[in-house]
Amino acid sequence: MKLHAFSLCMLACTACAFDVDDFLDRLDTALSISAFHDNLRVRLSGTLDLEIYQFEQPAPGLIDSNIDTLFNPRLTLFLDAQIGSQIYFFAQSRLDRRFDPSDHGAQVRLDEYALRVTPWEDGRFTVQIGKFATVVGNWVPRHLSWDNPFINGPLVYENVTAIQDKYAAFSPLEFLYGPYYEGKYAFNPVIWGPSYASGISVSGQLGKFDYAVEMKNASLSSRPESWYVTENGFENPTFSGRFGFRPNEAWNFGLSASEGPYFRREAEPTLPPGRDIDDYREFVLGQDVSFAWRHLQLWAEFYEARFEVPRVGNADTFAYYIEAKYKFTPQLFGAIRWNQQLFSTISDGYGHNVNWSPDLGRIDIAAAYRFTPHMQLKLQYGFQHETTGPGEDNHLFAAQFTIRF
Amino acid sequence: MRLRGLLWLNAVFPILPVALLASAAVEGRVELPKSLSAPVQAKRYQIVTKGGVLSTQPPLAVVYLEGSFPQPASLQTKQVAQKDLTFVPSLLPVRVGTKVQFPNLDDTYHNIFSYSPAKRFDLGRYRTDERPIPTQVFDKPGLIILRCDIHEHMRGLILVLSTPYFVMTDTTGHFRLEGLPAGRYILKAWIDSRTTRERPVELKNGETFHVDFP
Repeated sequence: MKLHAFSLCMLACTACAFDVDDFLDRLDTALSISAFHDNLRVRLSGTLDLEIYQFEQPAPGLIDSNIDTLFNPRLTLFLDAQIGSQIYFFAQSRLDRRFDPSDHGAQVRLDEYALRVTPWEDGRFTVQIGKFATVVGNWVPRHLSWDNPFINGPLVYENVTAIQDKYAAFSPLEFLYGPYYEGKYAFNPVIWGPSYASGISVSGQLGKFDYAVEMKNASLSSRPESWYVTENGFENPTFSGRFGFRPNEAWNFGLSASEGPYFRREAEPTLPPGRDIDDYREFVLGQDVSFAWRHLQLWAEFYEARFEVPRVGNADTFAYYIEAKYKFTPQLFGAIRWNQQLFSTISDGYGHNVNWSPDLGRIDIAAAYRFTPHMQLKLQYGFQHETTGPGEDNHLFAAQFTIRF
Repeated sequence: MRLRGLLWLNAVFPILPVALLASAAVEGRVELPKSLSAPVQAKRYQIVTKGGVLSTQPPLAVVYLEGSFPQPASLQTKQVAQKDLTFVPSLLPVRVGTKVQFPNLDDTYHNIFSYSPAKRFDLGRYRTDERPIPTQVFDKPGLIILRCDIHEHMRGLILVLSTPYFVMTDTTGHFRLEGLPAGRYILKAWIDSRTTRERPVELKNGETFHVDFP
């Protein structure tokens, strides 16, 4: 009986959605303009996301909230412009409560803007300049709400570690126990989301191989504020790259690497005498693989990272995830993701070797229903378990309703 | 043997009157909407991007004779290919019951789907050389909007009609529909998802009617 009521409800929503869908299709046409005999074509599009999170404190991942039930709306606007066949420009602007889900007030940001030049039609070489997502790994192409099978990112993109970019601990003990006393936003993950740092990249395809290298103003672990050139110049750049091999349409393999200093300028007074922020770097090695056939998609990424930490030494971590998505019907898909992150041990200065952050595993399960090509409802449950340290668990329930236009 | 003969007669006779008498024709012009510019392809997170030219799809209309006509035993299989990140053809009129193949002629994946009430399907991702070529049978009349889950800008249309008498206009809007049965009918011109014009016509054998849809 309940199933029938649910089916009727979904049917009613779908019927209503088709009216809205027709409007959104017309809006799409209205928001596309062209000039100079079609040589300049511009399209404005976007998404409206309404998210609700329910979790235990401390909030998991990069969620920055003291409230256990968080409502997080987000309006994202995209501008895509094609000038002739060789020049492409895009920008992404967001109105939300912060880059990551938070209980703060509203904020408008220009998260991405880039100019891309593709001199040859075959795609062998492309140069891009601006503020844009990293070329490392294979999560970036699906990180937006419409394309991401989940509501949040994989663990390695959002699990905050003991690394701080604004302050250098004065002892190993302070480094180890800092996360218990400081707010979460003082710390960094291995890769902060899609890492929209500023810089330049070159990329291209040569047969079954593709390449991409970038020079950015901030490391992969850097916080969103560091990505702006107005905040952070190119005195201490980060270099990253990805080398890909695609034997056919189904498989895609990639090797990524990145290295660059991870401290912000304000950390300089806390560094050991005679040292500067360029002496402490983040090194990342990544391997990624993806497979797709018919209604099944699989992704996996493996990352080994090293942070050079003042007064502590090298702090190493290994993180990976395996993700699968399957479309059960044209409108319903399910996804499952297993994430794990392991940390090396360091000396606490008192003769004990301890993990520099708690090892943890997390399983995410999601289901999504697309009412129309413009409307989607996603539900997610995540269970996170720390296997070392305090051994804290966290249950995350999240729902996300997206309208794409 | 006798039974086979009867079956053969039964199969041929319903077609005969139409085939023998279908000699009227309609021609004219449909006023087409203004040409839309080529879509903008979102390439924000593609490491590899090729040239950004996508062709403009000139508007076309489908002119058809509305009525109830016998369903043939078999229908020719049609194709809507994915080539250069567009649907080719971008508009395909077919009769109810037609099987349509969706070959992928690009060197990248496509994921063709439709949420249209007349036919919901999702072909998933498949290679260029995949055999058999993914197909769908369109068994309800209506408009099917084809999209690609990977390439947001891609749009294609399949107009599923109950009638066997239909033709696509050329890019100037001109059409000629031949081999029509005599009688009174409604002639319709499908222009886009929101615009279908219609005119009553009385067709006579051996005559050509001129109908314009302003």
